[in-house]
Amino acid sequence: MKIVLPPPLANPPQRQSFTSDFILLLKNEVRVAWNTIRQRPVKTFIGVVILLLLAISLIGSLGYFAYGALKTMPLQIVQMFLSLLFLGGLTGQIFFGVTAAFAALYMSDDLELLFMAPVPLKVVFAVKSLSVLVSNFLIALLFVFLPGIFFGILFHAGATFYILSVLVGCGLWITGTAIAELINLLVMRVVPPHRSKEAIGFIGALTGILIALLFQLPGLLAGSRGKLNLADWLSGQEQSLRIMDIFPWGWGSLALMKGISGNFLTGLGWSLLLLVVGVFLFMGAFVLLERGFRFITLKEGEGGRRRKPRSQTVNSDKKHPPKNLSYIFSDIFSDQTAYPASLWSGAWAVARKDLLSFKRDAREWFSFLIPLILMAFFAGQYLLSPSVSSRSSLITVLIMYTVMFSGNMALGAFGREGESDWLLNSVPLAGWPVVWGKLLSAVLPTLILMEALLVGTAFALGISLNVIIILVPSVVLLSMGSSAIGLYYSINNCRYNPDRPQVRISPGASLVMYVVNLLFLLFLAFGLCYLFPPAELVSIVKNLPPAAFKGGFRSGIVYGLYYLSRPLLWPAPWRTLVGIMMAGGGWSLIFFGFMAATVRQSKKGFRVELVTGVKKRR
Amino acid sequence: MEKVLIKTNQLQKRYGSVQVVKGLNLEVKSGEIFGFLGPNGAGKTTTIKMLTGLLEPSEGEAFICGYDIRKQPAEAKALMAYVPDQPKLYNKLSAREFLHLICALYRVPKDIARERSEQLLSLFGLQDRADELLEGYSHGMRQKVVLASALIHQPQVILLDEPTVGLDPASARLLKDILQEMARQGAAVFISTHILEIAERMCDRVAILKDGQLIAQGSPEELRRKTGHGGESLEDIFLELTGGQENAELIKSLEEE
Repeated sequence: MKIVLPPPLANPPQRQSFTSDFILLLKNEVRVAWNTIRQRPVKTFIGVVILLLLAISLIGSLGYFAYGALKTMPLQIVQMFLSLLFLGGLTGQIFFGVTAAFAALYMSDDLELLFMAPVPLKVVFAVKSLSVLVSNFLIALLFVFLPGIFFGILFHAGATFYILSVLVGCGLWITGTAIAELINLLVMRVVPPHRSKEAIGFIGALTGILIALLFQLPGLLAGSRGKLNLADWLSGQEQSLRIMDIFPWGWGSLALMKGISGNFLTGLGWSLLLLVVGVFLFMGAFVLLERGFRFITLKEGEGGRRRKPRSQTVNSDKKHPPKNLSYIFSDIFSDQTAYPASLWSGAWAVARKDLLSFKRDAREWFSFLIPLILMAFFAGQYLLSPSVSSRSSLITVLIMYTVMFSGNMALGAFGREGESDWLLNSVPLAGWPVVWGKLLSAVLPTLILMEALLVGTAFALGISLNVIIILVPSVVLLSMGSSAIGLYYSINNCRYNPDRPQVRISPGASLVMYVVNLLFLLFLAFGLCYLFPPAELVSIVKNLPPAAFKGGFRSGIVYGLYYLSRPLLWPAPWRTLVGIMMAGGGWSLIFFGFMAATVRQSKKGFRVELVTGVKKRR
Repeated sequence: MEKVLIKTNQLQKRYGSVQVVKGLNLEVKSGEIFGFLGPNGAGKTTTIKMLTGLLEPSEGEAFICGYDIRKQPAEAKALMAYVPDQPKLYNKLSAREFLHLICALYRVPKDIARERSEQLLSLFGLQDRADELLEGYSHGMRQKVVLASALIHQPQVILLDEPTVGLDPASARLLKDILQEMARQGAAVFISTHILEIAERMCDRVAILKDGQLIAQGSPEELRRKTGHGGESLEDIFLELTGGQENAELIKSLEEE
């Protein structure tokens, strides 16, 4: 085939201006963003709309309490409240901005390509900084722009007030993004390139927890209605809140207050000061970012902080093996094709591999932090209103959560293999060794954490030692049963998304697993009720009229429950026997049944579905 | 006279106390295909990244078409193309959109860009899927897109890091033909590869890097002569030179020549 290529250029083309290069790269960013949006399925848009509605209702509820209270307050207190709100907005921007900057600057796949292009690096960083600024807009809108506008409406401000509101909004928006970029620069110095994905997961999870905490606010406010008076609280803190005036968020609230009191020029002065400081910080961050990035990426490169000096004590014989390889082969393949080894060591190898992954991947830690945070909420609730019922409900919640958490951890077991699923499918371990290994790795860390949490909480609540001794093995059994269910759904529905490696299961399978787990708990609860019959239940059952089956689903349920309740009235030995049979048999059936099913699938081979964006491969 | 398009002068790279590239002196002339060989971890990719300006040298200089890559990066980059071993592309762009972007970055006029994009898409057999997003492309197809983007702006220098990885035999052959045609037209082709057969058949000269140090340089024939292995393949020479300590004297003798 004749290849026709244009001859190489003799001279480089004319340089373009900063603006035209900037517009070119910006257009490209917009095209990439548009293509990304275009490819999203409709259900994603529906999800976004639902999330937006939730966010609006959250803002509405916060606004109801906050703005309602502000109507009755003097302007000075209102100013302090605004300062606090702007501080919150700035913190939110910094937090989200760090994640956005990290993703845009550190994890971006296009940097190598852009650095290779004949475009000044300044242009590349300008476009990236702009994308971080845009990604921060939502937080700025919610916590800076909208509060300012609402204030104007609340105090019937004139049209000029809204100019101040926009200037203040822009100032705080730019300031927040600039600080986020500077913090990101520090993060980039600390996090080595090969752990960047973990870091982004870590920051993302932290953001998630903060959002979760934020969602608790309306509840807390509602819970403490009548006890919390915002105006009283702010007046009490007046002295310390005065300090706010020397910081940019304080200038913002000062500017708006001056605008409301009709002193537009003073307000303009404060808002312009804020804007100028913001722009100055942003420009400073931009210059430092470019220099810092130049140092990190261009000077140190990917190997910069990973390479360690090679050991000087390497034996030269080992470093350079003899050329004659025949004796090595004869040594390896001397007389046996494979060494006999116990299946247990294979199972332990599988478990160890996963346990090391838990240890070395910071993103994995967050799945274990979630129960701790949730438990902190319940413990806090108990401490606020301690009673016998809340003590037992706390223990019940802990047990329930242990079961659900175990199932959830097991759900991710096979998806964790990701693109390496070929390995466990190709080694001669398929079946029990692989499944036992996966069970071990799913159950061990969960059990250690949840048992420690359960026992610690039980001791703290003053629960008797006998009950604790019964609780511990029960939780082990519950956790194992739940994990077996989780493993079964994991092996059949595992998936891997390189962009979101923590999502390892299809949502439908996850839901079904939770339902099956609840049925498992219900089944066990019957057995346990026969073993330790609650007095209240027995007295209710004694007074139940005889039930008769009249046909239909409802009648069937009532009839079934009636007969299930009969053993509660039987003599203790019979009742205990039925209880042991039902609890033990039920557990064994569920545990070994699901394990056997998972083993069968493992023998057939499992496949991790690779999900990238909307495209599914394999 | 043939013009020197790639030149390095005592090029060095250090990571802390570890020196990964040690005082490299290279010259690649116009119309030459230069093979850059070496075992894993020898410093080949680091050298290429320094030549492309993606990594700053710790010491020394690198010139592309006479432009110092550190002092005049825009001019040097405008005349150069780089094909990395891992094709990192915009997943949310189509192949056609990507080629248009590259043209815009390298200031290729729009009408020429459109025409050349179609020619290259057709050359690499990508025309039917040119409007699909790159995220759906296989490794080999992505590699073809990178190759097309490297050719589209008529570079004088092309640096390729393991370019045949993931390519099917027909595409690998096409790549070889393209590179030979580029060299015929006066471009300098700098290719890092582990496939010694490619180096032997295609390259006018090869350089062998070991532990960051250039241990041999010359045409395959010259290397055979220098090592005293007349009838042996480049693979044998490479293995001998990059082998154990016992070859230190042979390498030393080559350096002295």
